[in-house]
Amino acid sequence: MYSSLVRLQNTFGFFTTVAFVVAAIIAASDLLAPRAPVVNTLEANNVQVATGRPHYYSNKKEEYASIRFTLDADLSSLFTWNTKQLFVYVTAEWPAAGSENATNQAVIWDTIITSPSADHLMNVGPATMKKLRKSAEGKSIDPSRGKISLKNQRPKYQITHPSGKLAEIDDVVLKLHYNVQPWVGALTWNQENLDVGLWKRLKGGVSEKFAFPAIKKKKEGGEKAKV
Amino acid sequence: MFSNVQPRQAAAQLLNFGLILSTAFMMWKGLSVITDSPSPIVVVLSGSMEPAFQRGDLLFLTNRNILQETDVGEIVVYNVKDKDIPIVHRIVRKFGSGAGAKFLTKGDNNVADDTELFPPGKAFLDRTDMIGSVVGYIPFVGYVTIMLSEHPWLKTVMLAIMGLVVVLQRE
Repeated sequence: MYSSLVRLQNTFGFFTTVAFVVAAIIAASDLLAPRAPVVNTLEANNVQVATGRPHYYSNKKEEYASIRFTLDADLSSLFTWNTKQLFVYVTAEWPAAGSENATNQAVIWDTIITSPSADHLMNVGPATMKKLRKSAEGKSIDPSRGKISLKNQRPKYQITHPSGKLAEIDDVVLKLHYNVQPWVGALTWNQENLDVGLWKRLKGGVSEKFAFPAIKKKKEGGEKAKV
Repeated sequence: MFSNVQPRQAAAQLLNFGLILSTAFMMWKGLSVITDSPSPIVVVLSGSMEPAFQRGDLLFLTNRNILQETDVGEIVVYNVKDKDIPIVHRIVRKFGSGAGAKFLTKGDNNVADDTELFPPGKAFLDRTDMIGSVVGYIPFVGYVTIMLSEHPWLKTVMLAIMGLVVVLQRE
């Protein structure tokens, strides 16, 4: 029975099959693109602990830490034709009291690096958007965006702890992580200590250990909280 | 057209229709068992994770921690009590580990973290609040379900069309 309904059904069925196969091939092509991300420098510059209300919703005063840091990394090999955006984030990690393996982790800074083909999706003002588009005019892949160089960067987020205590804690490290988000396929994160096929582990990426200092004076803490 | 439909044939068509529905249901539940998640595939409903995820994109979840624990940087889907809509956000803080770990999430596109979304008195999420973390992504395919829930009459139309097709197709 070759009614128009059956023809329509077959056409649509064939279309979806082809679309899914193409999508699967694109997703699989990720594995063929070598990745060799490198962190040249990651260090904490200026660590301060203060008492105050770090968030607008804080209902009680608590200790919070603010970590300025320097980062120099080359993540350009992560940009391929299937990369929609790269989410780069720096965490501070310190051991949790009570258990040996447990840690506390908090993101202190993050950024979204889009591929030029995803620029139009960014949530930024028109001026920034114009600049962003101009920076990669005519290119659909721009690996140079993966080069990050920050000096004495102010953190985006203040760190707190549920206990409200943060001062004088040792063995804090900064770590750089990334999350590659594709146009289609699997989301991937940095491999900490394992090479997978052509994907090399993130070289460097962990800072030297440092300590949260004692609390700064109250007045300065109040000023900081406004930032 | 319907006058010459035999009772036996009508019954077979009804069975066929039931088979299609139950196959879909079994596949969904099977995926649920494999991923240990009550909802292994979700559709993005808001723009809080833009530009990575937009409305209508399809996300594949897994709720198992085979290689490692749920960690900072993962994008998780969680349900807050008394709210029907699951939220897809990234973990930005994790205190402790194991069953007692406390999590805080934030949408990449949001300025503030999710503390305001949690019920009063709850400052952190537990692992049990989450129904999975995102492992795979297909753009746009889920937009159909957004259309269906925003225009309920489409559901009726679709069901009617499906029923008609099954009845009319006798081969």
